[in-house]
Amino acid sequence: MDDVAVADAAVRFTEVSVGYHGTPVLTDVNLELVPGQRLALIGPNGAGKSTLIKSILGLVPVLAGTSTVLGRTPAQARARTGYVPQTDSLDADFPVTAGQVVMMGRYRRIGWWRPTRNADRRAVHEALDRLGLADHARTHFGVLSGGQRQRVLLARAIAAEPRLLLLDEPFNGVDAVSQEAIVSVLRELSAVGTTLVLSTHDLTVAHELADAVCVLNGRQWAVGPPDETLTADTLRRAYGGHAVELRDGRTVLVEP
Amino acid sequence: MIEPFTVPFMGRALAELALLALICGPVSVFVFARRLSFVSDALTHTVFPGVVIGFLAGGIEGIVVGALVAGVVTAVVLTLLSRGGALSDDASTAVVLTAMFSIGVVLVSRRSSYTADLTSFLFGRILTVTPRQIAETAVLAVVILGLLLFSARALIFRTFDPAGAAAAGFRVAWLDLLLNIIVALVVVAAVRAVGTILVVALLIVPAAAARMLTTRLSLMAVIGTVLILVAAYGGLLASWTASVDYGISLTSASAVVLLLVLAYLLLLPLGALRSRHNRGRIVSDARRSPHELVG
Amino acid sequence: MNWWDDALHRATAEVLLAGALAGLVGVHVVLRRLSFFTMALTHATFPGVVAASIIGVNIVIGGVVAGAIVALGVAALSRHRSQNTAAATGVMLSGGFALGAGLVATQSGFSRDLTSFLVGSILTVSPQDLVTTAVALVVVAAVLLVCARPLRYTGFDRAGAQAAGFATGVWDVVLLLVIQVAVVTIVPAIGTILALALIVAPAAAARQWSHRLSIITALAVTLGALSGLGGLYASSRWDVAAGASITLTATAILALSTVLARLVRSRPTATARLRAFPA
Repeated sequence: MDDVAVADAAVRFTEVSVGYHGTPVLTDVNLELVPGQRLALIGPNGAGKSTLIKSILGLVPVLAGTSTVLGRTPAQARARTGYVPQTDSLDADFPVTAGQVVMMGRYRRIGWWRPTRNADRRAVHEALDRLGLADHARTHFGVLSGGQRQRVLLARAIAAEPRLLLLDEPFNGVDAVSQEAIVSVLRELSAVGTTLVLSTHDLTVAHELADAVCVLNGRQWAVGPPDETLTADTLRRAYGGHAVELRDGRTVLVEP
Repeated sequence: MIEPFTVPFMGRALAELALLALICGPVSVFVFARRLSFVSDALTHTVFPGVVIGFLAGGIEGIVVGALVAGVVTAVVLTLLSRGGALSDDASTAVVLTAMFSIGVVLVSRRSSYTADLTSFLFGRILTVTPRQIAETAVLAVVILGLLLFSARALIFRTFDPAGAAAAGFRVAWLDLLLNIIVALVVVAAVRAVGTILVVALLIVPAAAARMLTTRLSLMAVIGTVLILVAAYGGLLASWTASVDYGISLTSASAVVLLLVLAYLLLLPLGALRSRHNRGRIVSDARRSPHELVG
Repeated sequence: MNWWDDALHRATAEVLLAGALAGLVGVHVVLRRLSFFTMALTHATFPGVVAASIIGVNIVIGGVVAGAIVALGVAALSRHRSQNTAAATGVMLSGGFALGAGLVATQSGFSRDLTSFLVGSILTVSPQDLVTTAVALVVVAAVLLVCARPLRYTGFDRAGAQAAGFATGVWDVVLLLVIQVAVVTIVPAIGTILALALIVAPAAAARQWSHRLSIITALAVTLGALSGLGGLYASSRWDVAAGASITLTATAILALSTVLARLVRSRPTATARLRAFPA
């Protein structure tokens, strides 16, 4: 295990453009995250939030600029990067139990054909337990609620013990109980040095959970602490004009 | 180049294919946009028992009626099954297709001329098309084009925005049924003359090829029709030349399909160029996996 | 007399093996919604088989080669921006079938061969065919077992599987090739068009009874073998084409299963456990 020095950035993107088929979707990205940092990506639909997450995973090519993740190229760092996809991108009808889904997080460790060991089963159980789903290990994924599904996917990511965790819209269609469970686990992870990057529509959650915010729409409009970035001015520019209201001086609500 | 078509049966074959070109160009656009390739393929197979029963009950005259009944029944069943949700769309289509076809096979397999029947169902008898058949095709063509004209706007709306169409007061289920019935009518109009292989190709390939040249639906329909006409002319000529001049038996239906597919393959690079040209657009990757072969 | 010398005995063994093989791959065909692709494979192996028999090599090899071309062709075409996968599959299907039909037509004895290709000829199964089917069954089962994890991950969550380092494209090709080996093996016995039924129907029926892949697979294999056996019996009893009666048996099993599943599901106690499509 060659550890990245603690001072080293978990994610360092300098003047980065990312996109598909040579066409940039998102430009001017400059990010520098230290271990344990919690970054929220904010922006309207189609702003490039998912694309940026996939480029940190090395699944969408970086077209220009320099990018390192955990001190390596994004693709090389993928082994130590966790990913929680949007729940609607899954085939929920596929016959897997919650426990099997979480076990997927261990596949990289186990290898794709070797039998599972006790350590793997223990890790799966612990991950489910942390998210309050210990009783649902044998439940079909498809019958779980949206919030429970999201918790299972987070448990899967935790079971892989990543140093960097990327979450795509983890609070979409999630009930209050699940949201609370997810937020508290994310805080715990951050406290032990796991870096978090999550995309969200919910400015309140961003404010509450993140210690840094990146405002995107086709390009990076602002990055920094929530108080400095979630301003009416920045959001108005990123979301295009009138779609912003101010409330109690600090919280900014965006109405589509 | 025109001379072979002065022979009456060649002229009639070309006339029949020209009529089919007229209807298949526009219909294939909907088959393409609604991803109904599998449904089309299914309909070509499921009319088989109808053809057999029609023939047993009413001789040659009974075939069209039998095919019509079987086609409409399948259209209804497929629409119902895809809304019922008991099975996924593609699985239910597969089961309906094979089950109906099997009934046809069971019926013919008890007759002695079994293999000949099946072969003519697959290849059709384009070279023995009678004026009466052409008249039948023409009537069905008028009906199909009439239905399309009458419903095109609603069908297009439903294709691109099912939720919006439902909200605007269109009955999406009825529109789906209508389109399935239109496809069934095309199959009925075409299958006896040109056989299942050619019908499937006429319903799928023209619009898929035309899509490389344009994104406009009306233009796709026109290009599709032109492609079928060209392939029909070329295919008939090739099969004539092969058998008259070289003594090779090349079935006309196969020749026409292969020319259509060839046109598709030749247009592929053009399509690639076009999409590179318009690369400002961002296309989602969602449908790229074989996961969604039917969609 | 050797037990294997009787054509009906060989046919019985063949339908059992073919039914099991069909059930095994059918689970993946149903879960990944690959029915149309499978249909295209059954049709497009046709020119390969015909070409192989014309130039005199083993027809299984011809079928596998043609099927591989189709699998890769569909994958390549559907990467094309303007094409959807359904259309690409349809083009490969009609092109492949027309090519095969054209090739057959140049040969004499054309309709007989074509018919046996379409609806199969279970009673002419040779001991060698049986060995081929048995080997295919073992190979397919082994591959599916060894590759269970990547196939499960890719099928359930494509983006997640990529992020976890699985080359999803490679695993897709593995699955397509497995399906194709099964198709090429089954087609001579029960025919191109009807092979699709034996692959899809038992698996679709099995899918209605469990959410565990292992149970679904076991059930699909059993139902597939039963369909084969029942169809063969019906075929010899009423003297109809075996491929067709096997298909109708498989369909009947699926219909029965659907009705039973509805009945069971409508009982309140079982609702939560068996609900397949949660709101």
